Amino acid sequence: MKNLLVTILGVVITMNCIGQKYYTKNAKINFDATTPSSPEKVEGINRTATCVIDTKSGAMQFVALMKSFEFERALMEEHFNENYVESSKFPKAEFKGELKDNEEIDYSKDGTYTVKVKGILTMHGVSNEVKTDAKIIILNGKISATAEFSAKLEDYKISIPGLVADKVAKSAKITVSCSLEPLKN
Amino acid sequence: MKRKKIILYVLLSLLVIGTAAGIYIYKEYNRHHADTANLKAAYSVSATDLIKEFEGNEQASNKKYGDKVVRVEGVVKEVVKDEKGFYFLALGDTASMSSVRCSIDSVHSNEAALVKQGTVIAIKGICSGFKADEMLGSDVMLVRSTVDSKK
Repeated sequence: MKNLLVTILGVVITMNCIGQKYYTKNAKINFDATTPSSPEKVEGINRTATCVIDTKSGAMQFVALMKSFEFERALMEEHFNENYVESSKFPKAEFKGELKDNEEIDYSKDGTYTVKVKGILTMHGVSNEVKTDAKIIILNGKISATAEFSAKLEDYKISIPGLVADKVAKSAKITVSCSLEPLKN
Repeated sequence: MKRKKIILYVLLSLLVIGTAAGIYIYKEYNRHHADTANLKAAYSVSATDLIKEFEGNEQASNKKYGDKVVRVEGVVKEVVKDEKGFYFLALGDTASMSSVRCSIDSVHSNEAALVKQGTVIAIKGICSGFKADEMLGSDVMLVRSTVDSKK
């Protein structure tokens, strides 16, 4: 009986470890639309995005508030929110996707992996498929992830006025980095 | 002679207008964010009440608090310092996953560094919205926040 209990407990613990969800509420998302003709960096950073990864299925999700993107210049931030991404109308950006080669990642020991990520990015009320590579680092039971991809502003119906069209890139470089901890339920 | 005078006046006025416009554009372009510490809070509310209000009606709350300076009082649940030295403070009920999450303006990092978990403090910040998740709780977000020591 005792052995059976130990076995059941062991199985439950193992299942929990394998099917564990990891999360952070401090994921960083960098939005860079600088072009060579920009007079300065057209760059905003969001340091409070939420990210959850399910290590069992490889499913992942990011949620970022558009108004949490901070720009150095007040005017640039106002233009970003009011004219370009219309933050009041579309307050959130969301990415829902999966790590394609999830089974190749051994979450139980330290290691570094480059995996394919595929999913749907919704921004400014428009959804598009995004494919990119992500670097996953497992260290001391924590997961760090970084990824970079381009988002064509036109694809998200974000229009840049003619006056500044050559000063803002047509495609924004989006860099994501986060350090995730196990989610305790 | 009269005509010359008129032209001179017109040119002078244009110059004045042009210079004023130039100064305005230059200033506006280089404008930095105001320090939240010097701004008056539009609302003063407890962290748990603010979360409840957003949970009750996100749209109306976004309209009420969005882009406004809000002073929030509550128990410090988390003090996070990231690898670049930026501080984040979470206020609210320690038994819940939900919080008011505040990104501290880097000019006020020193004050945030002194904040201890479990103490009751007030934070002034600009409300940037609300994120709700079944697993992770509901969070009201403040940006460019500062620890408000005034009672």
